[in-house]
Amino acid sequence: MLPRLLALLLLPVIPLVQDRIDERLGSYRAQEEALYLWSGQHVRRLVPGFEGLAADVYWLRTVQYFGGQRLFAHGKRFELLLPLIEITTTLDPRLAIAYKYGATFLCERPPEGAGRCDQGIEILEKGIAALPNDWRLRQDLGFFYFVFLNDPQRAAGILMEASRLPGAAFWLKNLAAMCLAKGGHRDSSRAIWRQIYEQSEGPMRDNALQHVVVLDAYDVADALQGLVAEVERRTGRRPENLEELRAAGLIRRPPVDSSGAPFLYDRQSGTVHVSPGSKLWRPDL
Amino acid sequence: MGAGRLARVWAVAANTFRETVRERVLYNLVFFAVIMTLAGLLMGQLSIRQDEKIIKDIGLASMELFGTLIAIFIGVGMVAKEIERRSLHPLLAKPLSRDEFFLGKFAGLGFTLLVNVGLMSAGLALTLAGTGRRVDLHLLKAIYPIYLGLLLVVALALLFSTVTSSALAAVFTVGLVVAGRFSDVIRNMREVAPNAPSWLVGFLYYALPNFRNFDFKDRVAYGDPVPLAAMGLVTAYAAVYIGVVLLMGLAAFRSRELS
Repeated sequence: MLPRLLALLLLPVIPLVQDRIDERLGSYRAQEEALYLWSGQHVRRLVPGFEGLAADVYWLRTVQYFGGQRLFAHGKRFELLLPLIEITTTLDPRLAIAYKYGATFLCERPPEGAGRCDQGIEILEKGIAALPNDWRLRQDLGFFYFVFLNDPQRAAGILMEASRLPGAAFWLKNLAAMCLAKGGHRDSSRAIWRQIYEQSEGPMRDNALQHVVVLDAYDVADALQGLVAEVERRTGRRPENLEELRAAGLIRRPPVDSSGAPFLYDRQSGTVHVSPGSKLWRPDL
Repeated sequence: MGAGRLARVWAVAANTFRETVRERVLYNLVFFAVIMTLAGLLMGQLSIRQDEKIIKDIGLASMELFGTLIAIFIGVGMVAKEIERRSLHPLLAKPLSRDEFFLGKFAGLGFTLLVNVGLMSAGLALTLAGTGRRVDLHLLKAIYPIYLGLLLVVALALLFSTVTSSALAAVFTVGLVVAGRFSDVIRNMREVAPNAPSWLVGFLYYALPNFRNFDFKDRVAYGDPVPLAAMGLVTAYAAVYIGVVLLMGLAAFRSRELS
């Protein structure tokens, strides 16, 4: 009876001590250990015959740390992303999702990502070398050259290569042509992000949607600027503020973007911009 | 615990240690010696200025691996085999309680593992010295938690050994040791499966022995600091968890029908 009683009394102490250990050493110390490992090859040698299982574990740890079902986690240590993806894809070179996931968040600018598109491109190229017939990885490489590296020529070339692979989507050629069309950068970007949105899930899908929302906000700013020009053409003077457009019945809703931030109106020049204070503002758009 | 009881526990422990030596458990040291010699001879040539790290990695991993195998496969036979062979009956006919027998077995195998880990540590230090490297006392900060983890494995093996056959006890202990090494995956499960009930995830995380708590190998091999407070917490965790497991084992062993 006494041992049972003592065991029952001691049991609640285990979670208390475990929480203190987690506080001190970190809940994500397994992920952080990836920095101690030299490479995926090193891990591969340690788990002969169990590479697939080990890849699954590393992949699980990657999405647990950086985000799985929800939006990609902010405030995480991005230097962990490359080793985790590198180890996962070395253990299982056919895990296509890992290349795409890693490349997306290595390319994204902080705080959403690491802002290391060179590494993201490297990961995708590694994926293409491992899966030469996977048109989606090539398509992603083309997309990333367009939206992150601003290289429409290279992007179009890669998308054309992807379109020649067996089973490739018919619209890849159209997208390649859009990339090359002058003046249509925002339209091309939107088309690309829509494709990524439709083909992705989890944080990659959320990320693509966010890009579309940003592009929409810039389109709305352009439309408002067009209305300002129209008012000036009709009345001979520029509106004092954007609310005048609403009072005149030209717009129905308040002139704010979808994050709720008011658009920035410069009466001097008659231009309308997404406010730098808005979540949707991007320095390069 | 009175001096008489302590002496009886000690007698069982000493006998258990002698038994493990007779069973040639310490022969694993020969394998360890071969591995360390090969590591010392070859790693300098195979790796690019990483031989010291590789030697430490191999030494520490071997200590943990060999120790875990001994703890499991000797531990599960400690009580179950005595019951199966009926060699327990004459022992318990002597002035020796079940508690004393059980704790003595734990202490005996714990001592065997201490000797094993101690000799392996000496072997690792010799290999480092033999390859012209500094013998690093910082290694003890990895070795000590490894030993604590091994004691926990022994306690688990003994617990299962009292309630089931040695074969099943081995299966259960291996299962818990493997699951305990992936405790982080369980803890963060809701990141990838948000619908998993949080009470279940929490329960599994705290109920399973967290063997990651005892893993400081990488930190130590890279010379990263390991705070003494962390060692203290890990010691407390091991003490409480081992305490609970041993008490459960004692309770099960007391109520076990031996006839």
